[in-house]
Amino acid sequence: MASDGAVIAKGEWHPANSSRAIPAVLRDDGILLVAAEEERVLASAVPERTEISPRVGSIPRRVSFPDGSVFETRDNDGIDTYLRDKRGARSGLIHRLEQFHPRLILMTLAVILLATTIYRFAVPVLVEVAVLVTPPFVPELIGSGTLASLDRAILKPSELPEGERQAISEGFSKLAVHSKGGQKAYQLYFRDGGVIGPNAFALPNGNLILTDDLVKLANGDREMVLGVLGHEIAHVEGEHSLRQLYRAAGVAALVMLIAGDVGSGVEDILTQGGALVALSYSRAAEAEADRRSVELMRAAGYDPAALSRFFAVLEDKLGDHEDASILSSHPGTPQRQQDIRNYAAELEGRPRAR
Amino acid sequence: MAMAETAPRAAEGQSFERASFTGSASEYFGIWIVNVLLTIVTLGIYSAWAKVRRMRYFYGNTVILDRAFEYHATGKQIFIGRLIVIAFLIVLNIGTAIFPPIGILTPIVILIALPWLIKRSLRFNARVTSYRNVRFDFVGTAGGAFVAIMLGSLVAFISFGILAPLASRWTWRYLFNNLRYGDRPFSSDPQLGRLYGVWVLPALIVFLGSIVFGFIAFVVIIGAAAVMRESAELTSTQMTVLSIAGLYAGLFIYFILYGVAGLFYRAGVRNVAWSAAELDGRHQLVSDISRLRYAWIAISNVIVTVLTLGLMRPWAAVRMARYVNEHTGIRINGDPGEILSSIEASGAAISAEYMDMEGFDFGF
Repeated sequence: MASDGAVIAKGEWHPANSSRAIPAVLRDDGILLVAAEEERVLASAVPERTEISPRVGSIPRRVSFPDGSVFETRDNDGIDTYLRDKRGARSGLIHRLEQFHPRLILMTLAVILLATTIYRFAVPVLVEVAVLVTPPFVPELIGSGTLASLDRAILKPSELPEGERQAISEGFSKLAVHSKGGQKAYQLYFRDGGVIGPNAFALPNGNLILTDDLVKLANGDREMVLGVLGHEIAHVEGEHSLRQLYRAAGVAALVMLIAGDVGSGVEDILTQGGALVALSYSRAAEAEADRRSVELMRAAGYDPAALSRFFAVLEDKLGDHEDASILSSHPGTPQRQQDIRNYAAELEGRPRAR
Repeated sequence: MAMAETAPRAAEGQSFERASFTGSASEYFGIWIVNVLLTIVTLGIYSAWAKVRRMRYFYGNTVILDRAFEYHATGKQIFIGRLIVIAFLIVLNIGTAIFPPIGILTPIVILIALPWLIKRSLRFNARVTSYRNVRFDFVGTAGGAFVAIMLGSLVAFISFGILAPLASRWTWRYLFNNLRYGDRPFSSDPQLGRLYGVWVLPALIVFLGSIVFGFIAFVVIIGAAAVMRESAELTSTQMTVLSIAGLYAGLFIYFILYGVAGLFYRAGVRNVAWSAAELDGRHQLVSDISRLRYAWIAISNVIVTVLTLGLMRPWAAVRMARYVNEHTGIRINGDPGEILSSIEASGAAISAEYMDMEGFDFGF
């Protein structure tokens, strides 16, 4: 090193746009940064006109000169030492944070804490925003798609007598009139549920499906059936399924955004698992739907607490009332019956709702 | 060694070199956790810069012939690209609210724009990659992307995967034949016969798996139906959840089957396509991933990542990168130093000052 100026690092120099590599050193001779081969200067510039790539781990560093040539070195520490002398401790802050050090444990804890907070508070807000801006064709697509696939896979045409269906449809219309969106927002379908058994469910576009088994289970108690339908109307009104869907999608999207790269397998699990989660209503949504059923039934002039009879029948006919489903967060049926009757009684104390 | 050997050319001193990965899980963990933390704290804004650091780490540790790759995209570039996408979505939403028919048009517009986006994204990713100070470039057209990727996926999907090798051939030809390294072209012409050769095993996985799971599902449904009729303490909504969950469980099993088969297929196709690829018509690329090992690494990565709530993701990513790199190589015809030194940057890829949209990432 028979040259003036301190050697910063050894490496290679590439001419502009060329893959030719010449072994070289990077020197600081007071005013200029110089890339030189032995005695021959290959490129030089004042430090302000050069660009030094930020440090990431221990990958090679590049010093780009204004003439387009590049000095490349694996001597990260040499470059860092030079930068610290020149620019003070502010350089390479992110890299210092990233170094393997006990403080990473603190960062990990901070990440876990923040992630939990986001899940608890930010996701619900985002879900509400998403529901607000959802164009109407989205629930329409989800609804018609689900009905079509259920029809293909599980459901069969209803075998109920025409008169029975007519009567239930009329009662249903009376309920729907009092709901948000009115009668035309809902369409009731009768189906033989096959393996599904006694059941009713609502799709986000206002399509309701009622299985023959549920009507048979009611054993002529038409109000009970209507109470269940009221409960389902509430799910549509509250856009519960859409909310669940968005919650799952939101969690998946947040994980992807925050973690950056999550690996394709994990990504798939998030999106698929999200769909499963989306199908189970939350406990709060169920309670809300129960209460709304009471209101709708009362407004239509039926027995407000008819829905509680349905749960009672379920209990009687179908054995004990352990919560067997891992997918649900439903309160047990005795409690639900009680809540429904309490709410009906409470409403009696009030003037008639709408 | 390579599984797909083309007829050996005049072997005047061929040298075969494998790539390697020089990063470590502990080093990447630091980078990753700081990325996550800063992304959260900055409400997502930092994610663009985080991506740059992540890509630079993986490119900079991918070494072949003693030189590493380099990733040149800036956080600002990626951030602006993402802003454009978000702005587009917001405008779309407002537009739909004011004039609902726009909503019907949206999917159509996106479908039309997709090939163009794919092309731009491939070009962007190629141009921000360099090796020995020379950048890559991608010269494929949107029309090519439409045929190779969208039409290909459709054909593979409609034929239940039977025509997947055809789609793979289109895709990889599109990717390689339009890829440039400086002034030198890449080319690849994976033979359909070889592609069907690696398709047999995944096809068997799906076929036999479907039979086995179909039988199990049949038994379960019969059983469940009996149980439900006998004693179900389930409320109506619970029943809904259960029955639909059953439906989804079936879909999920199919998804797992196709996922596992897809891993085997992807690794096999990569071997065929890369081993059929050449740089400058003379230097052959080689890929000899063991399909079983690749599937095992991918599946165990997912399991470990999920069980550790994502904290082992850096380890998983490094593990996969190391395995894939070590089974990728190039056979240079002639003296590597000389040949590589003669390659010059060319054309549009020189200027680093262009703006491009960062769209979807296809692992090149």
